[in-house]
Amino acid sequence: MSAADFNPNPIPEQGVYSSAVAPAKEPGPTSAGNKLKSNRIDGIIRPATFEEPGTDDEGPVENLPVDVKIGQPLKSRAQPGYYPGYNTLSQQKFWDEATRKVVLSRVNEVPPIRFFTPPEHKLMLAICARLLPQDDRDKEHKIPIVNYIDDRLYHDRIEGYRFEDMPPDREAHRLGLEAIEAIAHKMYGHSFVKLGPLEQEQVLQTIHDGNPPAGEEIWQRMSVVRYWTLLMQDAIEAYYAHPYAWDEIGFGGPAYPRGYLRQQNGMAEPWEKDEQPYPWNAPPGSPSAGYKPLGGASGKQTPVGQEGTH
Amino acid sequence: MAQALSNEKRRRLAGGTVENRSSGLAGLIEETLPKAIIRDTTIVEQHIREGQFQRSLALVTGFSSLLGGLEVAYEHYRGSYSQRIMYTPVVLSGLLALVGIWGAFNRRVARRLLPVVSGVMGLDAVVGFIFHVRGIARKPGGWRIPVFNLIMGPPVLAPLLLAISGFLGMVTAFLRQEEDLGLDRQTTQSYGSSNAKPNSSRLTPWGVSHEALTLEQDIREGYFQRGMALAAALSALCSGFEALYSHYKNNYKYKIQWTPIVLTPLLFAAGIGTIWSRKIAHTLLPIISVLAILNGAVGAFFHLRGILRRPGGAKHPIYNILYGAPILAPLLFAASGFMGLLASLLRRRD
Amino acid sequence: MKEPLLGSFKAKPEPGEHRLGPIQEIHVPMRKYSQDEEVDFCIVGVGSAGGVLLQRLARAGFRVVGLEAGPFWNTERDWVSDEAGSYKLYWNDLRITGGKNPLALGANNSGHGVGGGSVHWAGFTPRFHPSDFRVCSRDGVGVDWPISYWDLKPYYALLEKEMPVAGPAYYPWGDPHGYTYGPHPTAGVSNVLVNGCTRLGIGVSIGGPVAINSGSHADRPHCIYRGFCIQGCKVGAKQSTLVSHVPDAINYGAEIRDNCMVSRIEMGPQGRVTGVTYYDPDKKEARQKARVVIVCGYAIETPRLLLNSACPGWEQGLANSSGTVGKYLMAQAGNVVMGRFDELIRMYKGPPANSLTEEFYETDPKHDFARGFAVQTVGPLPIAFAKQMMVAKGAWGWGLRRVMMDYNHWAPLGVLGEILPWEDNTVTLAEEKDQFGLPVARVTFNLHDNDRKLINFATKKVEDILIAAGAREVVQEQRYAHLVGACRMGSDPKTSVVDGFGQSHDIPNLFVCDGSILPTQGSANPGLTIQALAARTADYLISERENILEGRPFSRISPPVRHDLSPEGTSGRGVPRLKGTALKVK
Ligand SMILES: Cc1cc2nc3c(=O)[nH]c(=O)nc-3n(C[C@H](O)[C@H](O)[C@H](O)COP(=O)(O)OP(=O)(O)OC[C@H]3O[C@@H](n4cnc5c(N)ncnc54)[C@H](O)[C@@H]3O)c2cc1C
Ligand code: SF4
Repeated sequence: MSAADFNPNPIPEQGVYSSAVAPAKEPGPTSAGNKLKSNRIDGIIRPATFEEPGTDDEGPVENLPVDVKIGQPLKSRAQPGYYPGYNTLSQQKFWDEATRKVVLSRVNEVPPIRFFTPPEHKLMLAICARLLPQDDRDKEHKIPIVNYIDDRLYHDRIEGYRFEDMPPDREAHRLGLEAIEAIAHKMYGHSFVKLGPLEQEQVLQTIHDGNPPAGEEIWQRMSVVRYWTLLMQDAIEAYYAHPYAWDEIGFGGPAYPRGYLRQQNGMAEPWEKDEQPYPWNAPPGSPSAGYKPLGGASGKQTPVGQEGTH
Repeated sequence: MAQALSNEKRRRLAGGTVENRSSGLAGLIEETLPKAIIRDTTIVEQHIREGQFQRSLALVTGFSSLLGGLEVAYEHYRGSYSQRIMYTPVVLSGLLALVGIWGAFNRRVARRLLPVVSGVMGLDAVVGFIFHVRGIARKPGGWRIPVFNLIMGPPVLAPLLLAISGFLGMVTAFLRQEEDLGLDRQTTQSYGSSNAKPNSSRLTPWGVSHEALTLEQDIREGYFQRGMALAAALSALCSGFEALYSHYKNNYKYKIQWTPIVLTPLLFAAGIGTIWSRKIAHTLLPIISVLAILNGAVGAFFHLRGILRRPGGAKHPIYNILYGAPILAPLLFAASGFMGLLASLLRRRD
Repeated sequence: MKEPLLGSFKAKPEPGEHRLGPIQEIHVPMRKYSQDEEVDFCIVGVGSAGGVLLQRLARAGFRVVGLEAGPFWNTERDWVSDEAGSYKLYWNDLRITGGKNPLALGANNSGHGVGGGSVHWAGFTPRFHPSDFRVCSRDGVGVDWPISYWDLKPYYALLEKEMPVAGPAYYPWGDPHGYTYGPHPTAGVSNVLVNGCTRLGIGVSIGGPVAINSGSHADRPHCIYRGFCIQGCKVGAKQSTLVSHVPDAINYGAEIRDNCMVSRIEMGPQGRVTGVTYYDPDKKEARQKARVVIVCGYAIETPRLLLNSACPGWEQGLANSSGTVGKYLMAQAGNVVMGRFDELIRMYKGPPANSLTEEFYETDPKHDFARGFAVQTVGPLPIAFAKQMMVAKGAWGWGLRRVMMDYNHWAPLGVLGEILPWEDNTVTLAEEKDQFGLPVARVTFNLHDNDRKLINFATKKVEDILIAAGAREVVQEQRYAHLVGACRMGSDPKTSVVDGFGQSHDIPNLFVCDGSILPTQGSANPGLTIQALAARTADYLISERENILEGRPFSRISPPVRHDLSPEGTSGRGVPRLKGTALKVK
């Protein structure tokens, strides 16, 4: 699919989104330097402005997962997960060149923000920080999820299909941001970015459950559950493509020309690490820790698996 | 073989003296190998003839070749016989096993056929070794990731293990049969006795009890302790190397997996040490050899247990034998021990 | 070892060389036909079926051009051992999906580039059962095929040698047979399936059948158990027509034009097609004349192309007098059931396709549904697994992070259930256009009662297997796999598009040969059957040489099986097998 599918006639005079439909000449974190003026594009109604978030990089203590043994918050660490010291990147000399290039550029050349406007960017940051929270990662090892999502939307890389009850991905993302903002206002009377993490999670949980209390007309244009899966998928594709995430979960990483030799009994390769699990809990009260069925208990909106397996 | 026979006659006439060194290769060997070996090699043919356990060794050859053949048959099955040449060691091992056993009952087979088949087996093993080295080179990453590709590629030393049966077969061919010396049997010095009756017509099995009684003594007639010890050492090295990396593949999950790894250098050292030291030949070598034999037996037991403990266990016997712990490998290790033991019982000339 | 000897691996710099895996190389210059020249065959889509056809026809001495919408992969340079980086292997152009149970397409679906879907398939290659060809007469559902299992059987055997397929020496289900290459060792997930099945007394086939080398095969190395099969096997151990048939096709003078998207098939005056129009790599329109056009574009693109080629006289789309082009689309139920184990599994190791059971393949009168299903090992990498957890467990936020930290404790098994052909499961044209201005395909999919019952039963059964194997928690995700149908074969021109050879009922020199011609699909993965059908169609076309060259009608007589057209290096390999197989149980 090409850019044309999103908007056959970009509206350049609005300036705001022009960078979204044509690659920018000079990439930079916010190269478009946009300020939201108009609230209507492609027939989408959007709030005129998103409120500015409080800038708190460290994240409050209540965001941190809890060490079950001592009942205290777990400190942020370079590498959460049960495989301390495991480092896929340290194996890069054993990878073939093409793979090494792709993985290293993913790590070292984080794409700039070119699709989302600065307010959208902030909102997206806040959302992704709840979709895949990284409070237990130290600052240097956070995975820039939003940048990768932005890059996909900027290049309009689609997954090869669109559900008939969904608008094109770019539009869906914009509509979704709008809806999330509306839900936050409806539930807590504030912008999403101003809410505490648990409140933010509550807002997102309503979409996950297929029950958003606001954004009526948006949900008429796109399926709630499909939007949720779109959002989650994008976040997942960004996070679990990153070597830091591989280290976290103990995945072996690229394996060519050197493959795996120990296939039995979950044994670690000579360069892998054995598992050293530690007990932890999500921050108290976090709804996302609860594993509720996607689309709500009614099961009327069962989502479908997307990935090829066999 | 006519050649071999006429040589033999010549030797007999020469009354056991050993003055027919050829130049060239022998000269080269002379310069590069320790004196002791040279002396042994130059008189090796004759001394081997001192050994009167052709029947037994023929059986040993046959049996070890059977083991090796089964091992290579299923190892190559795991490699899907993706090249026709992969059948050759299987066929040759089978043939060698047959000829070995036949040779136990038939002198002519032992003298004439056995060395031919053994020689071809040896050659095939060398070819196999080259193919395995090349096979590793052709794996992704080739020899640049040697550890991985040695483990996952064709087992590089395994073909040489087959060459050992070839070696035994060769040795067998030069031996005398047990009854050759007739009354002479009690004397250990018995050069040139030529009263051996051609008994190619004899195909009946040799009496087992008689065999057992005379076995030790028969072996003592042999004067090629060094050669046999060297073979045992090399065989231990090959088979121990296999154990080293296949147990590494399993990350030495069980402590006992270390035992063949520990025994290998000892047996190797004892085998090599025997070349110089009579003392080692009579002390260390038999002890380690017995240990290796026991270890092989224990290993076979654990491998069998491992197979039964695999998913599906005894319900999927063929698959689990194929991909479980290689049940014959420890027996091949035991075979090295057996050769070591044999060596320690042989005589030597210093 | 801290690093490989001589330092990190570098791509070999030689320009102009075309590498397929570490040692295989295409080194003959490719033959080029001029566009005005009328070639004998124009093949649209060099995928699973297209690759085999191209090779056969070229070897038989025909002038053949394959037009492929995607790139002609140079695997050392283009493929990566990385999940996200393998995005380009799939058909990523827009399609619309809908219906009551919409199918996910994209990475779950079809390939793009020489090799097509065989580049990213997992490589499971079971045969269809004899019963699959007669489901209507046996079970009163679906339709019968115009051919029988025994027509296809020699081609199964042939393709199993050419791929080659690794598997057990005796495979008990359907028409029992043995495989060319020995089975593979198992890894974690496979062990779970074997354990579970054995404890429940369910038969299981271990280590195959898969089109993955369990021994080096000429220039294609032995599998290195890296688990990236679905990302394209850089090793070349897993078969794709790209590595197994295309090099031979080029050796024998076939031309492949990559990055060429066929936009329409041209009709001539006498009710015959004359060639195709396509967009060349610079997106300029071009034409290729051909005596025979064979469409091999996959179950979505094939009907789309026929519909997009509508022209005066063929307003409904080419070869569509029956109105069945685009109808009876099928997918297989591909639910993934995942179990969490106390011990480590490490599902990413080893090829995902390893073991399976077809114990529930056939209709069982004890069930309340017709037909059956298979259970197979799968091995999603982290991104795929996280998406599965998002659906199966409703995981997100901290919950997702936590379950993903247990990635190495989960074992996923795949259901492969037969979904029957229904008229309302379709491929039609949507209003949306692609980059060339061509209407894109709209896929509509609905489950029916039998399908739902089958899926429920199957997922329960897999849960039982996982629990028997020791799973502490079991969850499942609904999904579908393997789109086929939509241009089905049949003996009645009123209810099918092509005959048993893939020749369209309406237009004698227009053939369809790919998954879209399957009338029913069993619960075996379709890839082997698709390639076997292609070899059979090729034999037919070769036996009709005179008729093709002189433009006469085809004889429609079953061709003799050509055993001499296999790619170089096929013969003289493989484990000893019993010739032929057990009794013909019809
Ligand atoms: C993740 C995954 C795993 C799978 N695993 C298995 C498995 O284990 N076993 C199995 O049997 N099957 C498996 N499959 C299914 C299998 O890949 C497909 O069924 C099979 O490849 C389909 O073959 P085909 O010939 O119909 O189409 P394809 O192989 O997809 O070939 C079609 C080709 O035509 C080209 N094309 C299409 N339209 C045009 C046009 N207009 N112009 C030019 N070119 C065009 C496409 O680019 C493509 O290359 C799997 C599929 C997926 C997605
Ligand atoms: S597991 Fe084997 S077949 Fe799969 S990608 Fe790796 S080498 Fe290829």
